[in-house]
Amino acid sequence: MKRSDAVAASGLLGPATFIVLLLLVAPLVLLGRYSLNRYDVTELMIEAVTGANYARFFGERFYYEVMRTTIGVATLVTALCLLLGLPLAYRLARSTSRWKSFYLLMIVLPLFIGSTVRSVGWMILFAKNGVLDGIAGLFGGHVDLMFTPTAVIIGTLSVNLPFMVLTLQSVFEGIDARLEEAAAGLGAAPGRAFLRIIFPLALPGIAIAAILCFILGMNAYATPVLLGGPRFQMMAPLLFWEFNTNSNWPFSAALAFILMGTTLGLTMVAQTAIPRRYRG
Amino acid sequence: MPDTRSFLSRRAVLAGSTLLAAPAILRGAPARAAEQFILGTWGGDYQRLQMENIELPIARAAGVESVPDVGDELPRVAKIMASRRLPRGQMDVACVQAIQAFAMAEAGVLEEITPAKVPNIVHCKEGLATATFVPHIWSPQILSYNPERVSAPPTSFADLADAKYKGKVGFPDANYFYAMMAASLFTSGSSADFEKAKQVMLKVNENGLRLYPSTDAAGPPFKTGELDVGVMWLARIAMWQNAGIPVAASFPKEGCILYVSGMVVPKNAPNKEAAFKYLNAMLEPAAQLGFAKNMGYLPTVGTATLTGKVAEQLALPTPSPKLVVPDFALTSKALPDVTDWWKKTIQHT
Repeated sequence: MKRSDAVAASGLLGPATFIVLLLLVAPLVLLGRYSLNRYDVTELMIEAVTGANYARFFGERFYYEVMRTTIGVATLVTALCLLLGLPLAYRLARSTSRWKSFYLLMIVLPLFIGSTVRSVGWMILFAKNGVLDGIAGLFGGHVDLMFTPTAVIIGTLSVNLPFMVLTLQSVFEGIDARLEEAAAGLGAAPGRAFLRIIFPLALPGIAIAAILCFILGMNAYATPVLLGGPRFQMMAPLLFWEFNTNSNWPFSAALAFILMGTTLGLTMVAQTAIPRRYRG
Repeated sequence: MPDTRSFLSRRAVLAGSTLLAAPAILRGAPARAAEQFILGTWGGDYQRLQMENIELPIARAAGVESVPDVGDELPRVAKIMASRRLPRGQMDVACVQAIQAFAMAEAGVLEEITPAKVPNIVHCKEGLATATFVPHIWSPQILSYNPERVSAPPTSFADLADAKYKGKVGFPDANYFYAMMAASLFTSGSSADFEKAKQVMLKVNENGLRLYPSTDAAGPPFKTGELDVGVMWLARIAMWQNAGIPVAASFPKEGCILYVSGMVVPKNAPNKEAAFKYLNAMLEPAAQLGFAKNMGYLPTVGTATLTGKVAEQLALPTPSPKLVVPDFALTSKALPDVTDWWKKTIQHT
């Protein structure tokens, strides 16, 4: 690259990089500083450099259990998203139907509605004397899913599934269909061709989709609050409780960093599980 | 091409414009613009009723107009506390519960309210106003029950732990501190004996206590049969009854903790004069009756008298139940500990 080209490229990239740094890094630095402050009921936040907020989290079993629930929900939802999303995305990618755009639109459509409003829809379905309970009543049964872990899992799944399907669909679209034809020509059954040829090629993309889904699950707020109720505790609602109800900004800032660090750490661990030769 | 100048000449346009502008020009001296102030308030029905009952009919006539700053109570309090050292604050009037007002007064961030500043404060019922807090609405916390399913109404907070209501007891999670005060009142006669209250609450929790994420969500379960008993403000019972929910109020024999909500003026409020005028308008009988009729809260001034259906719905029994204003000095100190305990013990089971 010529020197003048490099200068031009830097000139073009500079403003965007600066904005990203300002909007992403600056709040994180501020939050990091807050997390080292001390909380006081009257003063709210006293400037200090203390690790007490982090020690409080790691010193109490309660917070460990909330984190465990959060990781559990995020992992289960990611697994279910993979299980349901993978075949759907593959089928869509290989579809030559003139309805393909319509099917894609149907998958994107739920994203047009905010997750809070969607949760309200689930509430109508799940509530006692709600739609599901009414249908079960016709057969002499009874369904009351409100404020249960099942409701949270279903609600979060519905939020995350479109992200999984859309990401995977574009991954499969990028893999040449002729590879499967070549595999078939060489005698591989469709299942074998998928597992031996397509799946390894798609693995880096699948990992990205799963990570995206996992991150969304770890940070879920509206769904656990509305469908899980006050007794179902996950990290994001707990963080908001500390911030809003207790006005304890230092501890909630520490919680934010712990949640971010845990998500990042688990994501990196998951990456190492993919064989090196398949990594993107 | 026709000659348009014959009917739309420059002179005609000028004359027409002058005629159109005439009403504005001939109106005389401009009306004095209303003085604006920042009102930190809750959104929804409360804000709407503030506009309909306080601002439009009374405060505007007094020459003040609010600029609403809508949000939850605790962030509002945090904002005032955080900006208390600034010479010019961000709010003129803040809507808060009495318990928060006490904590703010302790921190020295509130302006003193005197009859010279807010003349109507002299009409406030005894025990509701403080030197820095103007009460707006109040309601006793009662035991709620479904009269179609519960033949003998509960008579004390301890009844919520009765096995016959197992799994049918509930209230909004946000009311946890008031429920704890009710438990304290039952067990020791004081509003702030939380160590004993925790033991009572644990028993209620073991009886299948249901917690709801919002106040509104705790009403319909009485209709669906999910709830038989709970604790709630009398005001909400009236609202739910009006919405067709089968629910009634029973006054606990140990007494009722009072929910009192009102308004405060921060010391560094930019426009205190407008704030005082608004507080005075808020205490006018017509404004108070509007809130009683629409939200079921009782008036805080002796000059507002309820009549008709509202009076029936909000009538206190005879002899009058024991009404207990929380001991704010003790409750505000205990609040952080009780909140932590609630989160880790009751919510976490």
